[in-house]
Amino acid sequence: MRDSQAEPRGRHAVDTALVPVAERHPVAPETVGEPGRAATTVVPLPDERLLSRHDVVLDGVRIAGRSGGLELRAASARGLSHQYYGKVRQDEFAYLVTRDGRWLVAAVADGLSSGPDSHRAAEIVCRSGCVLVERQLGEHDAAVLDWPTLFGHLANAVIADACREFGLVDPTVAEVAERMAATALFAVVAIEPAPTGERAVHLMSLGDTSAWLLCPDRLAPWEALQDVKNAGSTVASSATAAVPAVPYQLAPAVATSLSPDQVLVLMSDGVGDPLGGGTGEVGAFLAEAWRTPPDPLTFAAQVGFRRRSYDDDRTVIAVWPLP
Amino acid sequence: MSEDKAKLLPFYLLLDVSWSMDGKNLLEANDIMPTLVDAIAQNPILGDKVRFGLVDFSDDARVQLPLCDLLDPNLALPGLAARGGTSYAEAFRTMRKQIEHDVLQLKADNYSVHRPAVFFLSDGGPTDEEQEWRSAFAELTEYDRQTGAGFAMYPNVIPFGVANADPHIMQQLIHPSVGNKQMRMFMMDKGNNAPDAIRAMAEILISSVLNSGMGVANGASGVVLPDPSQLPAGVTSFSADDDDFL
Repeated sequence: MRDSQAEPRGRHAVDTALVPVAERHPVAPETVGEPGRAATTVVPLPDERLLSRHDVVLDGVRIAGRSGGLELRAASARGLSHQYYGKVRQDEFAYLVTRDGRWLVAAVADGLSSGPDSHRAAEIVCRSGCVLVERQLGEHDAAVLDWPTLFGHLANAVIADACREFGLVDPTVAEVAERMAATALFAVVAIEPAPTGERAVHLMSLGDTSAWLLCPDRLAPWEALQDVKNAGSTVASSATAAVPAVPYQLAPAVATSLSPDQVLVLMSDGVGDPLGGGTGEVGAFLAEAWRTPPDPLTFAAQVGFRRRSYDDDRTVIAVWPLP
Repeated sequence: MSEDKAKLLPFYLLLDVSWSMDGKNLLEANDIMPTLVDAIAQNPILGDKVRFGLVDFSDDARVQLPLCDLLDPNLALPGLAARGGTSYAEAFRTMRKQIEHDVLQLKADNYSVHRPAVFFLSDGGPTDEEQEWRSAFAELTEYDRQTGAGFAMYPNVIPFGVANADPHIMQQLIHPSVGNKQMRMFMMDKGNNAPDAIRAMAEILISSVLNSGMGVANGASGVVLPDPSQLPAGVTSFSADDDDFL
């Protein structure tokens, strides 16, 4: 029965004509260059500690606005190395739509392999982080969010979780980080475009999770929005920083805009490392693959492309603006 | 910025084939590579990343196996034969040349290359002048990050000493000898026999290669040597500052 009450928050009329029909073809693994032996021979082992920590998580949603809206795909997949050694996926993503329906808040976190429980830190960073960003958006303009306070809260939440879960008493930040630590990347994206057709995007990054603008029609389709490992770029950010070891001096937030012909792509270094500067085979493959929003299973297969020696966890959130 | 094709972990075995190694010692040494190949074949994560090279030395040093993928189906493992004396200087000079050649080649091919590790296995002291092997070792290992002077591709050096290898000398070949990435050396215990010790060294070598690959998976970088408590019988490990030898 149809609900005749007011529309739930953040939800607006969806033009069903624009909803892509799911393609019912079998999803084959994607390969870029030489796949390597691991891609075909690794026997995936479970991490016996954690039966609810899934190998692959995947979302494909439309975030509708009064005009336009956003098409979102997100996938996080356990890397070959973690499959082989029987370790959980340590990457995570999360996103939410603010109550006023204005903003998409998205997060990607990469739990550091050096901590055996870093997936917990990644979960906290993503889930609590998105909620904290939404809370701040109720009080601040998106351009002037109080990131130091937000990261402080996240660090405290990770430390508290480590104390609860592992019985640590008064641990130092370094002691907690040895058990669990995660990078963090947050994006705040306007759901509806400005009259110019552009959408405001605000980004904050700690560590080596990276944000990109993909312009599939350009000769150099990938534009880095944050410092990328081993490369110079717009702003500097510490490549080793991770929650809870948050530096006093955060890299400045990045304000940019998403044009109708661009895709905003957030990724962990499992994708960022093989992407490099975006000028090679991986860049060309993903630029073509994400020209338009693929169906979600295909998206997951693309995120999990096989390429020799790249065996880390892979996580991507991609956001396409709708006209 | 170009795109990296793959991340590689290069290892070398720098093996003494002087006359004193002839016989059972060399038979054991000849077994190191096939055993390593078997171990790597069972770990596909490592198989995609490890590159291995073999240089032997006597009065001269020869590249018996250029840095290669040990799982390459066309690979033919070299058979080693004893010859002549024990020139450490030749060993270090050839090692430096080969590392430079291999790393430049891999980088030209867009690979991202970890710092190489050299397992240096000898059964006796150097037959060349002390000053000569010392300066050759310095050329292989010394690098000043500030000025850029020296050999930027310097390897980690892990000495394996059997039979008459001099622990004092072997200890000076540990590199880096200090800092948080310091290496260790592995010495045959007195009373053990050399062929058994070489087999034990092969085990240590293989476990170091496996651990290093696992270490990379777990966020560490560089060579992960086996814990001193986990060594095969008849072998003991020492750091550069142990002063157990009188």
